[in-house]
Amino acid sequence: MNKKELDKIAEEWFTARSWKPFPFQKQTWNAFYQGKNGLLNAPTGSGKTYALWIPIVLDYIKKNPNYKTKHRKGVKALWITPLRALSVEIKQAAERFVNEIGVPFTVGIRTGDTSQKERAAQKRSMPDLLITTPESLQLLLASKGYDKTFKDLTAVIIDEWHELLGSKRGVQMELGLSRLKNIAPELRIWGISATIGNLEQAKEVLLGHESNAGKNSILIKANINKKIKVQSIIPSQMETFPWRGHLGLHLLEEVIPIIEQSKTTLLFTNTRAQCEIWFQKLLEKHPELAGEIAMHHGSINKETRLWVEHAIREGTLKAVVCTSSLDLGVDFAPVETIIQIGGPKGVARFLQRAGRSGHQPGKQSVIYFLPTHAMELIEASALQKAVKKQSIEDRIPYLNSFDVLVQYLISLAVSNGFYPDQIFPEIKRTFCFQSITKEQFRWILNFITFGSQSLQTYDEYKKVEIESDGRFKVNSRAVAMRHRLQIGTIVSDAVLSVKYVTGGYLGSIEEWFVSKLKPGDVFTFAGRNLALFRIKNMQVLVKKSKQKTSKIPSWMGGRMSFSSEMSELLRDELYLAGTTTVKKSKELKALSHIFERQERESVVPSSNEFLIETFKTREGYHAIFYPFEGRFVHEAMASLIAYRISLLDPITFSIAYNDYGFELLSDQEIDIQQVLDNDLFTTRFLKNDLQKSLNATEMARRKFRDIAVIAGLVFTGYPDKLIKSKHLQSSSQLLFNVFKDYEPDNLLFQQAFTETFEHQLEEGRLQLALERINSQNITWRPCKKPTPFSFPIITDRLREKLSSEKLADRIKKMTAQLEKS
Amino acid sequence: MKTQTIHINNQTFILHPSGVIYWREKDMVLVADVHLGKVTHFRKHGSAVPHGAIDDNFIQLDAVLEYFNPKTLCFLGDLFHSYLNTEWILFEQWIGKIDAKVVLVAGNHDVISPLKFEELDIHVTNEWLIDEVLLTHHPESRSGFFNFSGHIHPGVQLKGMGKQTLTVPCFFKKKDQLILPAFGTFTGKHTIKPQKEDQVFAITPEEVIPLLFN
Repeated sequence: MNKKELDKIAEEWFTARSWKPFPFQKQTWNAFYQGKNGLLNAPTGSGKTYALWIPIVLDYIKKNPNYKTKHRKGVKALWITPLRALSVEIKQAAERFVNEIGVPFTVGIRTGDTSQKERAAQKRSMPDLLITTPESLQLLLASKGYDKTFKDLTAVIIDEWHELLGSKRGVQMELGLSRLKNIAPELRIWGISATIGNLEQAKEVLLGHESNAGKNSILIKANINKKIKVQSIIPSQMETFPWRGHLGLHLLEEVIPIIEQSKTTLLFTNTRAQCEIWFQKLLEKHPELAGEIAMHHGSINKETRLWVEHAIREGTLKAVVCTSSLDLGVDFAPVETIIQIGGPKGVARFLQRAGRSGHQPGKQSVIYFLPTHAMELIEASALQKAVKKQSIEDRIPYLNSFDVLVQYLISLAVSNGFYPDQIFPEIKRTFCFQSITKEQFRWILNFITFGSQSLQTYDEYKKVEIESDGRFKVNSRAVAMRHRLQIGTIVSDAVLSVKYVTGGYLGSIEEWFVSKLKPGDVFTFAGRNLALFRIKNMQVLVKKSKQKTSKIPSWMGGRMSFSSEMSELLRDELYLAGTTTVKKSKELKALSHIFERQERESVVPSSNEFLIETFKTREGYHAIFYPFEGRFVHEAMASLIAYRISLLDPITFSIAYNDYGFELLSDQEIDIQQVLDNDLFTTRFLKNDLQKSLNATEMARRKFRDIAVIAGLVFTGYPDKLIKSKHLQSSSQLLFNVFKDYEPDNLLFQQAFTETFEHQLEEGRLQLALERINSQNITWRPCKKPTPFSFPIITDRLREKLSSEKLADRIKKMTAQLEKS
Repeated sequence: MKTQTIHINNQTFILHPSGVIYWREKDMVLVADVHLGKVTHFRKHGSAVPHGAIDDNFIQLDAVLEYFNPKTLCFLGDLFHSYLNTEWILFEQWIGKIDAKVVLVAGNHDVISPLKFEELDIHVTNEWLIDEVLLTHHPESRSGFFNFSGHIHPGVQLKGMGKQTLTVPCFFKKKDQLILPAFGTFTGKHTIKPQKEDQVFAITPEEVIPLLFN
């Protein structure tokens, strides 16, 4: 069959459905037939699945002309999706095509939700298309004979690649692909990505550093421009609108008419806690909405989530309160309106959410922005400009994630075993490990075989063994089992499942939240008030409660940072506020009383001013710095400046930051004049000072937590299993201390430090920010009390510590906390 | 080294920054929760905890013995973390070098057979009564006795001006009970909440510091 005939099959199928292929779809088909690899930049709901699934099937027809009678067994394509919720949709789309054109292809799903029975069946006979997640792919690489399973692969599609790119799951994917490339000679690799700033780089990360796959590749852009309208919800009573807070409930009533006027509305919140609260309050204030609104977030059980998704598609719901769990995939045609509650912290994310509405081509997408505190209106104003200019941020890929490499190598050792000489060149071709040295690789090999020690008689370290022919292999079944259980842990905190005492699964919840509860405590979960009964075997057993007040789990992941582009737009907006000549947006106008007060008590800085405020409260001495560079940069800059000040005199700081600035709080007065005289904002010794500041704070310690889990240093237990990991409980904190004292050159320990400020340093953002500050005039305002600008920062409870005082001296100034009676 | 001296039942007890207590009248050192063998246990199960932490336990025990030079060394339980492993060999060598008589008040982690200890001339017991003093692993209150114990790994949370907080290991003294901090290098701590009438002594590498309450 020639290309013309293949195209005819595809086009006839489109015509039969009264569709017409988009140019980008045809372009992708052709590139695939030519054996190219590539990255397809296309939004959700644009037909991206058919852009790639069709050529995979037709290419098979071409190579197997008697496909109808003689079916070749084995898996031909892998479809990787970051969210298992999306797999059903992809399966349906894929099946529709093969069934209707009469190709006897089977489509299977393998994720964490797949039953043991189904897995076993798949092992005996793989489906032709396997839809799976990065974790499940790694698990497949940890099964014996994976090379035979995958030898006939013709394509791997990585869907929503932009979501994986900036995460360690992306690294997991890079490594998996490096192996697949070498066992499947016919393989083509394709990624699908929403629009991000660095699409070319995204392609390089996917296909490998200076790789053959990269040389034979193409970037295809769908270029489907959507009209997006951003509308801010401005409080009518601006004077009483709060200066801080992150829930936005003050504006709940404003949302009701918007919901009423539109067919289906999605309300995006930034955290699951916020999602739970909004859902509850909407029902409480408007009981008439019961049955017409629903909630969707990642911790709710699968059945409920699927039900909600189905109901959205059917158009039977008026509104759904959700988190990023509905950011991706799934085409929801009936959705007409989007409301974003609180700052989305990124233009790409905001655009993606806006794109969830008005899926019909040419239709305008409307997104409402609901500020949760006054200062966020500035963000709203800046976002409108960002959308207009399409200034979309980059997703920065990880480099040298040794923890993921350790996990990957053990996976290979668990299945077929590996020879380092064969694997090293593959790893070196990945983007993540392009600069790995032979010494570092040798260190990693030593780590997995001898636990990073020289061979000693007394040592009983056991993991990977080196066989006589030089093959690295795991022979202990216990080690293999623990490793397989550990693979899925790359993304999340330890999670426990929430169940009724009487049975019935409600969802999963992070361990650290549950650990704060006592039996009898009432908390809100999945929209219900539940009383904790007890925790047993990684299960949280609960009973229904009628009690009204409750604790709401505040899930992690709520803290995000502005990109540098967004920070710049934000800064521009803010400087505008201080001027009188330029026409201001209605958001800025609404904020005028706050700016007036800021001007009265301190100053609204202009573009050539860098503002520092100091004041004293009952809590101590506050110094607030306003670089307006976004949370990430402030995190690093606060740490740097605090460290440099702490060199002048022994002092202890509590540090807070948000997207506007940062605070150094101390029990001693901070001499700002000394800070200025000593040139503490200099860019000299930047990297060195930042490294040293990390030793004095807890940041690296927190980063180490994930690293320790991924690299298998901490065993997180057997989820939902009755086996106890007796005597193996340890916290990553404890491990961090032991490494600090006894093995500070350990690469995984070092990684915690490089990772902490990697993004800030990688892009040179911190350097640029300091250079900008050095070109500004410094305005230091000693104030009588907290200013409007300072308020959201000083009330932030998430804080960092830095100290140069002796431990004993600090203890003597403090008091022990008594039990509350 | 800054120690603290306290008196209980007319007896003298010296609290040492390493987390041990020296009972002057009996010339005895009390040590709780060393958890020997824990590092090896982890390594055996594929968690590459650095070796160095093993040696440090012995180095610190030596330092304590040199400082007080006691007649008796009493471990208040959880001397070994788990089943017999190669760290036992190091322990045997260490025991062979010391002069003090050694007693183990067994704890929940002490699953190694008492016979193995007896071979090394270490007496193993579930509790030890000396005059009006009761030595146990688990904290206990028994009328007429003052109890020294371990098990809890006590730590205390401190608060100060400028939103400062700290958690440090401590000695935790109640009316008729004193709980020692964990001695081992690879052990965690559990935050206790004292009451007004209790006494808490924080430890740093150099100092024992009596704490004030808020």
